[in-house]
Amino acid sequence: MRIINTLLAFLSLALLLSFWQDNFSFYVDLALLGLHGVVVGVKTSALSNVFALLIGFSWLMVSIASFASKKNTHSTLFLWLPILSLALFLIVYTVDYLLFFVGWEVMSIVSYFILAPTLTPKALLKYILFAMASALALLMGIVILYSGAETLLYIDANHGFTLLSQQMKMILVLLMLFAFFVKIGAIGFHYWLVDSYAQADDLFTTYLSAVLSKMGIYGLIIFLTQVVDIYSLDWKILAYTIAIIGVTTSVIATFKAIKEDELKRLLAYSSIAQLGYIVTILAIAGGMGGVLYHALIHTLVKLLLFINIASIIALTNRSKLSQLGGLIYRTPHSFVLLLIGIIVLAGMPPLAGFASKYLVYTSLLDAKMLLILSAVMFASVSGFLYVYKLIYGIYLGHPTHKSLESVDEVSKWYLIPQYIIALLLVIIGAFPALIVPTLNTVLVQLHVAPIPFETSTILESPLGAYNGFVVMSAFAVIFVLVLFFVWRVKSKAKNVKNRFDIAYCGEEPTSATPLHYGYGMGQELQRVGFIAIIWKQSSASFYNALTLMLFSLSTRLRKVYTGNLASNFNWLIIFAIFLLCWGLE
Amino acid sequence: MILFDLFLILLIAYSVGFLYYGLYRNITARFQRRFGPPITQSFYDSIKFFSKEDSTSHGWMFYLGPIIMMTGAITTLFFIPFFYDRADFRGLSDYGNLFVVLYLLVVGPLGNALGVGVSGNPFAVMGVTRGLSRLFAMELPFYIAVIALISINQSADIATIASNQHETINAIAYPLLFIPALFAFIGMMGQSPFDVVGAPVEVYSGPAAEFSGKFLALLMSQGAIFSFAKLVLMVNLFLGGASGFMELLLKTFLLFLFVIAFGSLYGRFKTPQSIDFLLKVPTVIAIVGLILATWS
Repeated sequence: MRIINTLLAFLSLALLLSFWQDNFSFYVDLALLGLHGVVVGVKTSALSNVFALLIGFSWLMVSIASFASKKNTHSTLFLWLPILSLALFLIVYTVDYLLFFVGWEVMSIVSYFILAPTLTPKALLKYILFAMASALALLMGIVILYSGAETLLYIDANHGFTLLSQQMKMILVLLMLFAFFVKIGAIGFHYWLVDSYAQADDLFTTYLSAVLSKMGIYGLIIFLTQVVDIYSLDWKILAYTIAIIGVTTSVIATFKAIKEDELKRLLAYSSIAQLGYIVTILAIAGGMGGVLYHALIHTLVKLLLFINIASIIALTNRSKLSQLGGLIYRTPHSFVLLLIGIIVLAGMPPLAGFASKYLVYTSLLDAKMLLILSAVMFASVSGFLYVYKLIYGIYLGHPTHKSLESVDEVSKWYLIPQYIIALLLVIIGAFPALIVPTLNTVLVQLHVAPIPFETSTILESPLGAYNGFVVMSAFAVIFVLVLFFVWRVKSKAKNVKNRFDIAYCGEEPTSATPLHYGYGMGQELQRVGFIAIIWKQSSASFYNALTLMLFSLSTRLRKVYTGNLASNFNWLIIFAIFLLCWGLE
Repeated sequence: MILFDLFLILLIAYSVGFLYYGLYRNITARFQRRFGPPITQSFYDSIKFFSKEDSTSHGWMFYLGPIIMMTGAITTLFFIPFFYDRADFRGLSDYGNLFVVLYLLVVGPLGNALGVGVSGNPFAVMGVTRGLSRLFAMELPFYIAVIALISINQSADIATIASNQHETINAIAYPLLFIPALFAFIGMMGQSPFDVVGAPVEVYSGPAAEFSGKFLALLMSQGAIFSFAKLVLMVNLFLGGASGFMELLLKTFLLFLFVIAFGSLYGRFKTPQSIDFLLKVPTVIAIVGLILATWS
């Protein structure tokens, strides 16, 4: 199963790359089915190619990592994964909302089948409720759109949109934003997401975070650029609303991530926060370059991090920061790879994360959204806390259990995909404009201004450029020189074999001393007003209130619709009389 | 040529940094009615540490911590131009901009935090925890001020921002940006009331707890270089930059004097207190400043 799955992933990626430049399109008129005037089809374009590349690449990486476990534990996962990926390819390659909806539904349902064996019933219920709500909203949106121009093709959708009344436009936008925000997990709509991420199969979480969340972004890009045509339409309020939702998502999710003790929950919140940055700049004209760049980097980095976490969980059977620790010299490869991952996630130079953050910042500056930019930078800096917590909790500090002192490096099948991704991230860090020409073809397709491009080492923006290659080489050269200098300075040091041999106020700690101190870092923020509010509030309370309201509503309904056959019959007669009177009018 | 330029920049930052460090110990001593050590004492100390043996090692990552810290400090220094109108002493600033510098400022400390973390000393990690918890509150007012400056000047180039202050320096033109940035700057320089990270003197904690010998010397040297780099950045952003060495030294020294005087006069905030203060006072001032400065 795993082999077939991997072969399929490899094949799809190979096909994709070999037909990268070719234009392919295929349309079907559904008149045969009695649907006159409804045309559906698939077509390759620069945008769909980029997203398909993300899907294919992530699929392959996850598949390679799956060989690590000796038992075929993920057998159902790899039965469904090809079908899921096909649905995703359908979503990105289709040119109409009918096939888009079909792909969307297949994606939601197949994910349900994959999630079902591992999720608790409550988490599963949350997932399916939100997935169905999202799909329903999407369907209603599509129906409204169809009422405008009586076609479902993206190219005519903008025409259809302009035909709608102002109220209908508003409803349509709200429905579609809801549908996609649920998939992205924007704050308030993320209620299902964290549990599903945390309880899913470790490798499927990787796929969820890297790819499935990007489908929401893809849907938003299509809707905002092709249907609403937000950049030519001077609908400032919509742009600001989306930006504020995005930045609120980032800030809140970042602080939620800081509080988390469980590895996958922490990264799930981090995922929400990162997508928040993307949503923030989605509605501004200069932001599309940043959207695509950050989507790409985020996919890569979340693949790397989640595979790393999966390998650690598989190795130690522990999934909490407070239960891990001190693995650095047991699993040095994993440590270095996670280090690369968190440097990118934090957006630090000289690696690739800085390039995408740079585009996010400069596009907000260019759009004069300065307060929003301040909040984005605030969220970004706050993120340092949870990335350090992540690497500290797993690899640094002290092992919290004897079993952690005798583990060996994780399986090479986990390391191979991580090394591939890390290499890509380093290369993009040194040549930040390497992918700009590809992104520019997408930007041209979407009718927005391309990112200025001269050479692959210089990432340009309206407010100044930076040379990634110089930053990286300066850092590397200085590092080597300092290292050389320190190495040459003569000194003797005794390597402590005993990990308790530390400066400890003149005492010697024992194995009972709680030395793995830093896993709970950030807890003191509880005393800071607004952070305490963020931590205390949960969207659960909102949804609980909603449930109560629905219960009371249904109790009232039950008074009318009692389930008694006789009273139902009475209602039927009243209804018939009503219809009759209406007909006589 | 550029290598020679970089070497000179490093040499100047190293010597001026240690000079200021010596002065810092002297001036704080005067505030406390002491005489303090000779100005050169810190420099001799660092040289002495280089020749001492380091007592413990916690593996390669432990060593890499201070080395990354030093690398971060020197790289930051190289991306900040000394003068706004001269072709020399520009370092690598033509290849980067303010955003690069803002992020490089935190690369070193975070790298060091890894070394600290691997030492397994809970008191050292306590310092890191405090530093990281405080970091976002400290950076926020500074970032807001910097964002406003970039937007006003329509450029993220440090030299451009410095040279655009011919008539009035930004500190006077935009006091509501300068004041919050100054608060944040005091924190960045590790001075009271925001010095709980190192918590010098009182508590046996802080990131340096486990380091000794040449690694402690490395941390001291990078501290000197890093402080000077940050001073030059602040002078460029708010005090009109400099066109010659005298001006640069004068402005950085005045700023430095203010920072240590402030630090000597005030007591220390606890971590949540400093976060609370930084988010309430400087951040609010900075937001008002940002709106006033860019409203049009």
